[in-house]
Parts: sequence; C-alpha cells; structure tokens
Amino acid sequence: MQRRDFFKKLGAAAAVAAVTPTISFAADAKKPSGPNNLSFKAAVDAVTGGKTPVVSSKIKLKVPEIAENGAVVPVTVEVESPMTEADYVKAIHIFATENANTRCIDVHLTPANGKAMFATRIKLGGTQEVATVVELSDGTFITASQSVKVTIGGCG
Amino acid sequence: MGKRKSLIKIKPKKFKDGEIVKVSFMVMHPMETGMRKDKKTKEIIPAKYINKVKFSYNGKVITTMTVWESLSTNPVFTTYMKINGKGNLTVTYTDNTGEVNEHSKKIKPKG
Repeated sequence: MQRRDFFKKLGAAAAVAAVTPTISFAADAKKPSGPNNLSFKAAVDAVTGGKTPVVSSKIKLKVPEIAENGAVVPVTVEVESPMTEADYVKAIHIFATENANTRCIDVHLTPANGKAMFATRIKLGGTQEVATVVELSDGTFITASQSVKVTIGGCG
Repeated sequence: MGKRKSLIKIKPKKFKDGEIVKVSFMVMHPMETGMRKDKKTKEIIPAKYINKVKFSYNGKVITTMTVWESLSTNPVFTTYMKINGKGNLTVTYTDNTGEVNEHSKKIKPKG
C-alpha cells in the first residue's frame, strides 16, 4: 500500500467515526426515555381495542393555539350528549401526541355527571398535537385534535 | 407524609336540589415524571405522580380517573355533577408510591 492511499483510508474512517455518534445522539435526544414510554398509535389502540375512532364535530376541544409555558397547558373537553342512562359519554381520554408517555388522563363518567365535560392542565414537551378520544355508551369512539405551539424561550 | 393541601370548589356557590353544578378538585402535588435530573447532584428525581382519582357522592361513584405523569404540577380536575340531596362529596386519590389521601365536602342544597 502506498503512503497516499493509506492516508486516504484513514481520513475516511475518521470522518465516519466523527459523524456516526452525533447522528445516534440526535436520535436519542428526540425521543426522551421514560418509565412508561408509549407511542400515540399504541395508546389509542389500547383505549379503543383496535377500532379506529371517527373524527366528530360533537366534541369541543379547547386548547390554546399558542402556549407560553409548556408545563401548564389548560385543556377542556366538552361533548354534546344528553347524559341519560340510555345515551351517555362513557369515557374521555386525553393524549399529548409527542410526549414520552402520550397518555395524559382517562376519565370515566357516569350519567350522574349530568354534563359531559372535563377540564385539566397538562404538560407538553414541545410543539405538538393534543388529541382526545371519547367513548360513547353504545361502544363507538369519536375523536378530535388540535395542534399547540409551545414557545419556550421567546420567539419560537 | 403529611396531609396534602387540597380544595373542592363548587360553582355556583348556592344551588338547588337537582341542579347540575361545576365541581373542581385542586391538589398540591409535585407530579414528578421520573425523567428530570437534579441540577446539582445530577441524579434522576424519582417519579411521583397521582395515578387514580375517584369522585364519590353519598357512597355512589360518580367519576373515576386514571392519570399518568403528563399532568401539570398541582393538577386541577374539573367536571360536572348533578345534585341529589344532602350529603358528602368525597374525592379519593392515590399516588404511584402508594400514598392514599381523601378530601370531602358537605353538600347542602337550598330550596
């Protein structure tokens, strides 16, 4: 092997070694690891049992379009329902699609609630979509979602 | 652990029997995700979050909730409830570390 070729190979190997760790590190940083990691699709499947929820205008999902602080984002879910024994909202599930654990809260309601509404405050890791899946008493699932821009550190 | 600070708010304040009122339950809780590091010691702060909340009214369960760590520090749970006579509204909440607490409020409908 000539001296020139040897240096060429050495340079190529060094370049690969320099680039690969940064790539893998960036991929790790994107997905924060938590004890209860769960992707959005897996979370929805766990709730609906494999059924695909239908997008419905019956749900009113109130989330701010721009959240100044990702640690406190108010979420309100209201569903049009008579809330009688025959027809009521069984459960409201709230998801943050890009968090490490996408499930936020499952609320199981009864006709004694009188009105199908639930409000809370959630944490968001960054700009993402907030989704809700609602289970009705006849076993069907409806859904709604809205994107939230989280502006940590100013201009975002 | 000592007793946590918590509060039950009912809106409107004066209500009649059979009326549907808004009920908010607030609790002081760190809701630690288990993913945050202590800045000084560089150690991961262990997870501590509420995982179960139950609203019951005169012994009858109205609403149950399963909670994960994505809820804010000092969470608020707001929902509606139908008033059905005098009694107690009791909120029971459980921690992932096994801490169980309870808060109850007397309900007195007028008229």
